[in-house]
Amino acid sequence: MSAVGIRIESISKRFAHRVKGEVYAVRDVNLTVQPAELLTLLGPSGCGKTTTLRMIAGFEQPDAGRVFIGEQDVTGLMANRRNIGFVFQNYALFPHLSVFENVAYGLRVQRQSEQEIAQAVGDVLALVGLQGYDRQFPNQLSGGEQQRVALARAIVIRPRVLLFDEPLSNLDAKLRVHMRGELRELQQRLHITAVYVTHDQEEAMAISDRIAVMHQGQIVQEGTAEDLYRRPDSEFVAQFIGRTNLLSGRVQSAGLGGIELEVAGRHLRLSGDAARVTGGQIVRLVVRPEVIELRPADSGDGIPGTIASRTFLGEKAEYQVRVGADLLQVTSYNPVQRGLFSVGQPVTLHFPAEGIQLLPGGPA
Amino acid sequence: MTSIAAARTEGWRRTLRDPALFATVITFLDGGQITLGNLVAILRDGNHRQAFWNSLLLAALVGLCGTGLGFLYAFAAVRANLSRAWITALDAASLLPLVSPPFTSAIAMIFSFGPRGLITYHLLGIKGFTVYGLHSTLFSETLTYFPIAYLTLKPILAAIDPNVEDMAFSLGSSRWRVFRTVTLPLTVPGLANAFLLLFAASLADFATPLILAGNSFPVLPTQAYLQITGLFDLKGGAVLSFVLLVPALVVYLLQRYWVSRKYYVTITGKVGALTTIKSLAPWARAPLLSACLLLAGVILYFYVLLFYASVVVALGANHAWTWRHYQVIFTEGLKAIRDTLAIAGAGMPLGGLYGILLGYLVAKKIFPGRQAMEIVSMINYSLPGTIVGIAYLIAFNDPPIVLTGTGLIIVACYVFRYSPTGIRATVALLQQIDPSIEEASQGLGAGSGTTFRRITLPLILPAFFAGLGVVFIRSMTAISATIFLVSINWTLITVRILENMTELSLGPAAAFSILVVVIVFVVIAAISGLLRRFRTPGALEVTSILGG
Repeated sequence: MSAVGIRIESISKRFAHRVKGEVYAVRDVNLTVQPAELLTLLGPSGCGKTTTLRMIAGFEQPDAGRVFIGEQDVTGLMANRRNIGFVFQNYALFPHLSVFENVAYGLRVQRQSEQEIAQAVGDVLALVGLQGYDRQFPNQLSGGEQQRVALARAIVIRPRVLLFDEPLSNLDAKLRVHMRGELRELQQRLHITAVYVTHDQEEAMAISDRIAVMHQGQIVQEGTAEDLYRRPDSEFVAQFIGRTNLLSGRVQSAGLGGIELEVAGRHLRLSGDAARVTGGQIVRLVVRPEVIELRPADSGDGIPGTIASRTFLGEKAEYQVRVGADLLQVTSYNPVQRGLFSVGQPVTLHFPAEGIQLLPGGPA
Repeated sequence: MTSIAAARTEGWRRTLRDPALFATVITFLDGGQITLGNLVAILRDGNHRQAFWNSLLLAALVGLCGTGLGFLYAFAAVRANLSRAWITALDAASLLPLVSPPFTSAIAMIFSFGPRGLITYHLLGIKGFTVYGLHSTLFSETLTYFPIAYLTLKPILAAIDPNVEDMAFSLGSSRWRVFRTVTLPLTVPGLANAFLLLFAASLADFATPLILAGNSFPVLPTQAYLQITGLFDLKGGAVLSFVLLVPALVVYLLQRYWVSRKYYVTITGKVGALTTIKSLAPWARAPLLSACLLLAGVILYFYVLLFYASVVVALGANHAWTWRHYQVIFTEGLKAIRDTLAIAGAGMPLGGLYGILLGYLVAKKIFPGRQAMEIVSMINYSLPGTIVGIAYLIAFNDPPIVLTGTGLIIVACYVFRYSPTGIRATVALLQQIDPSIEEASQGLGAGSGTTFRRITLPLILPAFFAGLGVVFIRSMTAISATIFLVSINWTLITVRILENMTELSLGPAAAFSILVVVIVFVVIAAISGLLRRFRTPGALEVTSILGG
């Protein structure tokens, strides 16, 4: 079976809020998921990502807009007519049914023969690594095993698309990292289109082909993890994906030679797309902690600062550096060989010409 | 009654479908005219006023003593680090009074402390000790009803995370201080609830005072009963039970709108490391356990005595072995046994079905006015049985629905009166089922019918059995409501026991009581067995089929 895409056309969903009256959970969202792609909806809680997913599944009906799975318009269709596989945050295993019966449930609904069911359930349990668990009950399983049953139950019916609603958030950190690798591998092996909801940016970056960042009911940016990290087009995305410093600056000149900036009373030259800014404009600089280089105080023309705190983590050291009224985060890799700075030590900060993203506006 | 007045009464009846509400209206109707005269006339009678105050006094004392004993018992069960066997023993002892006809302990009291009582007369040789009065009524009712307090308080005490107590210890509190400042305050809403439950139970109980209170200590339910059965004064009985309605409703409203809001939720996030419970000082353990054992011993003694009384010719006078009393109940009393089993058997499935049906409707918020429906069904449950019985009697005495004298009226009374257990169990189970479980079924292609049949129904099955069990137990043991509903055609074991008691044929009464206890135990065991069989390891649990 070849994979089919998902297309969402300007869907909206309103909820009645006790204090604020009617509020939009999702507002005019457009999204296209390519066949066999794993797309993650990423955002803080309450951003509308789960509501969007539930509208794709058919658990919620949009107030406006349309949902397509493949070429079929499924808007208004109940979830049980959409042929989807849904993995819930709490797994939603049927507590009164054994592992076998949980997985067989969807096949029994389709009235398959006992022989087909036994074959299919056996295969899928083997696929998720749960051979021999047929007769166990959900409450006898660990969190990771329950997760696998939920997954097996969702994929055994050969759904057209797989939908994940924060499936790993109930697992401990180590298992979470392990399971996300397995999920990704399985999705690729089954060659199935998947939409994945999470608030964990690291998980999103690790698992996705593409990420759509949601904020206040809308998609604010979509792209690969690298796109979003390197070229965030809003402060929200810059701060939500990875750690970042946001500095204010004024463009002095922008031309073929690059962009001249004044930042914290110092002069800074960046290479970059000069067409996006004009002279005199106030801009915000997105400076990732790892691009800043720290040097001893009397070394050249960098921005002077003082080490305010230091966290030594082995392969890296994280500093907070006081520059004027601001505290900048600086990450230094391989600190053992490169030398550690101590708290209170004056340093200079060197910004590379590349690797800094400019955003328009912001307070001067 | 003029035809216009009759029509007016009829109109009233149509508007008030609930028999209990209907009874309250009847009390104000005098020839179809609404009047307070009935009530005033009753209240002017000093005897009745005395009975009213006596009822309140008795109920308050039973509430206090029963809550105290229940707390002692619950504290020992969950805070004394008892072994499983101990807790099972405590549970079993507290179960006995719950599944017995209400006057079993009263009969045992007569056997022990009566004119020829085993303890007072034979053992201690006290002549002229009067068993009748407040003291023995209080003792008997406390013993009968304290398990309600125990069942109410046990889960509340168990829910207090020992780590919270540990925290108080770590802040330097002594044991007594921890108990006073942490454990007890967290239990206060439960104590209030237990008190109100016992208060209501005692207020409604008319069998115990009928046997033990005697002439010197009249109480309202007994007065109402005598008014109707002795003087054939239906209206007088209704008015008396209406007076009873006032404190009963106060208790009901307090419970619903005050106590239920006072419950604390001990928020402790994740369940911390298991800690041994240190709330009980080592020296206090022995006295606490002794007290509990003494209580269990008294209960056990009562039942052994009851059994003994059923197999001797005449307890206190002639202690020769005999099966005569059992012969009597299986010949003369056979009709009562048959009728009771038929009624309980008919009420059982109906009660179970009604419970899950209503519970489902209430929990799923399917229709408007469901809250009103819930409240009406709860009122039916919380009202004293005497009121409910009289209400059914009046409501179904005349056309359009004439049920008085039929078995159906008794079945209906049991089903509607004792359905709240099933309703509440269903609602509780449904609330435990995460909506995502039903969505998961839907996502796998199941329609709503399949989802209900294969997911929801199996998960609320325990509530069905709970509802069914309670209706059966109450059908076997209750008397206060149905004593007004029995007839020549349909009678009940509990009513026969009462008749035996008043005729002073104590042997058959004891034999009947033992029979009821045995039947109820067998049926409970069968239901538990069924539950275990149908209950898969992951299925939800109903905390207690006797709770509330």
